[in-house]
Amino acid sequence: MGTENPNRVNTYPGPIPTPFAAPRSNMPISSSSSHPVVGSEASAFRPTSVPATLTTPFSSPGPTVGSGTPGFRPMQPGRPTPSYGPPTTGPTQRFPTPQFPSAAQPSMPPTSGVGQPIFPPTMRPPPPGHVPPMSTSLNRQPPPAPMGSPPQSLYSVSSRPNMQQPTPPTGPPSSLPGYIQSNTVTSPPPPPPPGSHQGGYTPQPTASSSFPSHQGVYTPQPTASSPFSSNQGGYTPQPATSSPFPSNHGGYTPQPATSSPFPSNQGGYTPQPTASSPFPSHQGGYAPQPTTAAPFSSHQGAYGQPPPGASQPGMYVGGSAPPTGAMAGGLVEDFSSLSLGSTPGSFDVGLDSKVLPRPLDGDVEPTAFAGMYPMNCDSRFLRLTTSAIPNSQSLVSRWQLPLGAVVCPLAEAPEGEEVPIVNFATTGIVRCRRCRTYVNPYVTFTDGGRKWRCNICALLNDVQNDYFAHLDATGKRVDLDQHPELTKGSVEFVAPAEYMVRPPMPPLYFFLIDVSISAVKSGMLEVMAQTIKSCLDKLPGSPRTQIGFITFDSTIHFYNMKATSLLFFFFQSSLTQPQMMVVSDLEDIFVPLPDDLLVNLSDSRPVVEAFLDSLPSMFQDNVNVESAFGPALKAAFMVMSQLGGKLLIFQSTLPSLGVGRLRLRGDDLRVYGTDKEHALRIPEDPFYKQMAADFTKFQVAVNIYAFSDKYTDIASLGTLAKYTGGQVYYYPSFHSAIHTEKLRHELARDLTRETAWEAVMRIRCGKGVRFTSYHGNFMLRSTDLLALPAVDCDKAYAMQFALEETLLTTQIVYFQVALLYTASCGERRIRVHTAAASVVADLGEMYRQADTGAIVSLLGRLAIEKSLTYKLEDARNAIQLRIVKALKEYRKLHAVQHRVGNRMIYPESLKYLSIYGLSLCKSTALRGGYADAQLDERCAAGFTMMALPVKKMLKLLYPSLLRVDEYLVKAPRVDGEFERICKRLPLVAESLDSRGIYIFDDGFRFVVWFGRMLSPDLARNLVDEDSSASDFSKSQVCLNERENELSRKLMGILKRLREGDASYYQLCHLVRQGEQPREGFFLLLNLVEDQVGGMNGYADWIIQIHRQVQQ
Amino acid sequence: MAWEVILWVIFFILNISLIAANLYQIVCLTDLEADYMNPYDSSSRINAVVIPEMLIHGVFCGLFLVTGHWFMFILTLPITIYSAMLYSKRRHLIDVTEVFRSIDAEKKYRIVKLAFYLLLFVLIIIRLVIEVVNNLIDDDEEGVHLFGIF
Repeated sequence: MGTENPNRVNTYPGPIPTPFAAPRSNMPISSSSSHPVVGSEASAFRPTSVPATLTTPFSSPGPTVGSGTPGFRPMQPGRPTPSYGPPTTGPTQRFPTPQFPSAAQPSMPPTSGVGQPIFPPTMRPPPPGHVPPMSTSLNRQPPPAPMGSPPQSLYSVSSRPNMQQPTPPTGPPSSLPGYIQSNTVTSPPPPPPPGSHQGGYTPQPTASSSFPSHQGVYTPQPTASSPFSSNQGGYTPQPATSSPFPSNHGGYTPQPATSSPFPSNQGGYTPQPTASSPFPSHQGGYAPQPTTAAPFSSHQGAYGQPPPGASQPGMYVGGSAPPTGAMAGGLVEDFSSLSLGSTPGSFDVGLDSKVLPRPLDGDVEPTAFAGMYPMNCDSRFLRLTTSAIPNSQSLVSRWQLPLGAVVCPLAEAPEGEEVPIVNFATTGIVRCRRCRTYVNPYVTFTDGGRKWRCNICALLNDVQNDYFAHLDATGKRVDLDQHPELTKGSVEFVAPAEYMVRPPMPPLYFFLIDVSISAVKSGMLEVMAQTIKSCLDKLPGSPRTQIGFITFDSTIHFYNMKATSLLFFFFQSSLTQPQMMVVSDLEDIFVPLPDDLLVNLSDSRPVVEAFLDSLPSMFQDNVNVESAFGPALKAAFMVMSQLGGKLLIFQSTLPSLGVGRLRLRGDDLRVYGTDKEHALRIPEDPFYKQMAADFTKFQVAVNIYAFSDKYTDIASLGTLAKYTGGQVYYYPSFHSAIHTEKLRHELARDLTRETAWEAVMRIRCGKGVRFTSYHGNFMLRSTDLLALPAVDCDKAYAMQFALEETLLTTQIVYFQVALLYTASCGERRIRVHTAAASVVADLGEMYRQADTGAIVSLLGRLAIEKSLTYKLEDARNAIQLRIVKALKEYRKLHAVQHRVGNRMIYPESLKYLSIYGLSLCKSTALRGGYADAQLDERCAAGFTMMALPVKKMLKLLYPSLLRVDEYLVKAPRVDGEFERICKRLPLVAESLDSRGIYIFDDGFRFVVWFGRMLSPDLARNLVDEDSSASDFSKSQVCLNERENELSRKLMGILKRLREGDASYYQLCHLVRQGEQPREGFFLLLNLVEDQVGGMNGYADWIIQIHRQVQQ
Repeated sequence: MAWEVILWVIFFILNISLIAANLYQIVCLTDLEADYMNPYDSSSRINAVVIPEMLIHGVFCGLFLVTGHWFMFILTLPITIYSAMLYSKRRHLIDVTEVFRSIDAEKKYRIVKLAFYLLLFVLIIIRLVIEVVNNLIDDDEEGVHLFGIF
């Protein structure tokens, strides 16, 4: 050790003094510590806390660490130990080791790994005193020659984001440039925020040669090598430092008895101390993901099996053991596991429902992807089911999950991250000549900047004169900073005239309104008219916006809204009132005054307002119960076909006259479970599909608002929305007293959100990969072109791809989503999202980089599509089968090397797959049979889920359940207090305490649940006396703000939750414990982990899957 | 025996029209796949010939039955039944909205049908030639006979 340490010292020299100063402490430490395996992570994390002790130890361990590092993936706080152990061997020798007990060695690795997490923010700010020691220690170490050689590469420092730009190596004697740099850099800059490290993880190419495999991942640290090994030793010996490590495991709490923990861990994990080479091969390239780590730690308690005799049982669970590396060739467990049954063979006994993985943090996006390719578009726009693309057909067939992407081209970007707009006014849009790829950050310029190579098809294109720029020494264009299209994964090009088949259309809103008796009675008409009127100012695209109305019952009413021009104003009785024309010939529809039905909103504003004002009263005495929906639809089509636009249909009576007549169906119990069952979920009359196709052809998007309290055949009506890129809003039993806010919010959002008109979308990808199927609400115009008459931020589309060749030869596959659309302002634009993903030959890697959110989203869409041609049960079984097959394949991958025994093993990245699969099966669209969901609700849910972006989908599948009474009563109104007190709870009935108030939020509605034993005072404060006394059914959702603090707080919570997700309005339903059937309907049915209505509970589901996996 | 020749000529013509209809549909589908045609045109063109084709096939099959060509009748029967089934399930027309999802299956179905009609075409040609030759021979024989009288 001693020797090595000195080496370190050398490395640090320059930076050390200053950096080490308290603030910097992390940096230095990290560098020293990190060098070793931990490299990047470690460096980032280690704050000063470890310093003094650490320094020495770490430095020596460096090399060893390297091996361990792979293991380091953030996630595996607990398990690291095993893996590490081995590494120590090599390094240990170097180190004086006095510090470590033999046991410690194995532990060491973990420590390093752990260390990272350890540095909880708190740790960081080490007391000044601490730091100094650190530095000193570091300094002390002489800069021995050894440094240079091995460990150096490991420099962790680099990993941090901040670090990234290394300053030239200052002092380091030997050539450990990278390392040095890191030191210097670190020290000078302010210490990175704790959170930062995680992010920092991205692998760094700079890694020295020493650890080839890892290198990518860990930043090499020059000095580290020798030190590293020593570190380990160092850790144990020094309790203070060590403490941090243990803490990691535990979830960051520092543990004083560092040394002891390690050994214990080891025992728990199969780690083998003997491991020869520290660096596991797999790691190669793989950067650990800090982010994961964080979540991990949190879960730990939940999952893991307790390590035998391990000091920290809880933590272990999830843990995939880091690869031990050389060791036995993979003794480390690279997966998470769940032990089923305390004894083999008895599953039913031992599954502790507390340890099941639950997505209580919501959607966790994989970050490795973004880390590896920082120029990729944001994951809100494009998510791949796995960011490791298989390189061969055989690999594809072994990856049993869908291989594809979920694209949300217009996702809302937070403030400051808007997609930049690029105008190639003079050059025309730069695209590849052959494959038509748009210029993007991954194209390479060559030949002094005169040519560029397409990253997708590798064709060398000429750079136009106007676009030419010289290259600098590194081959980058000198004007890179002026070209967002060359630095950002998402850009928007302004399209010139070549991209238009006609002049850009104005935003056009057309309303087709049912005015039959049920629409009037429910109050829908009034709410709708008010809402539209209030939105007139906010309609996008003013002053070009056009608007028009048709109403219908058994006849069709057209409205002439043309405001007469000023000239005629005085001669004609000017139209300040709309002129109504009634057409009763339903067989042969014609449109009177075809030119005056659609008017420019700004010209005819008074007429439109007058119309909306009078609409409710015009029909208030209407007693017509018929609905000539089909003919009215045709009429609307005739009016709109010139321009296209958005058609909003307000429908509350089953179409009963003319074409497109629908009949009551779905009330036949006997059909369920037979082969004819699926027919209920597809349109009955081909008229609707035909109309949908025609609408798409003429760029009309249809949004359906259905209000009926009786059957309205959403399956047929929804088809219109499905193929036109629209959306179905369903308000069963609409009543204005209850649903007003919901309709108002959602209609307003529909009218005012930024919309892309007459759009087409295509996704291109590199050679050898081809998109084969598309899933969502749109119509295909050619094999790979999605026609989207209107798109907005709430729509996402999923697609699957396949390999065309048996073997991919490229290292990276690029995807490029291009959406050509007309913006509301009348500009034609192309939004381009580009992403790269690496090609791998290893199935394990694919699983490691899987994205549960995208997979679940795609699985859900596939299942819903399946339910349109098969029975519901088949669709559910298909989901289960997919999951089972995937886990089986994964088990095969590891069963040989690891004694997985009776445990259920799964990749860390897919730990939530099972629960999401279960909730998919229990979702409204797929659950049960006849009695479990109304046919209309089922179909509406299906249409909605087909368009949901990933995050909302996951929220819907695993809603949040919050207990709020404590917050209401005790907590002060402070920012952050709510988040601190109200944590998401598992969706089981046991979570509900009868003394509490809970809010259940699935993104579409809130259910506020009042426990039976709730203090009457509280209830009285929140709800009207009478209703709280008896039942809530009368005042279902009337949770009004009342004059007291509690009520204001509760409303504040609801408001805040709503702001988090504005695409739908969450109507609030009050439910009292034991109030049947409302409690069951609103809440209990949606507790997905419970056994409800013949569907398995979570534990049973896991056991069932596990059994099938083992078969 | 001339009516037998005429009958086979009719079969021949019907068969040719069936082949033509199928070829046309396949070409439309291929164009659609290659993006030479949009789905609206393509499916409306295909759908325009589906019913006529079914009718022709029905007549074709029926004629075999009525004229007592049992073997040929049995050969064409499966397609008749299949078409009838499609029609009764309302799946005989191409669905514009989902055309790309079913394009492979539709193409395969039509190619199989085309192959089958080509086989029939061979059989029909053979039978036609046989009939014609027989007819000629009969005529010849009669002629010879007549001539032989001299």
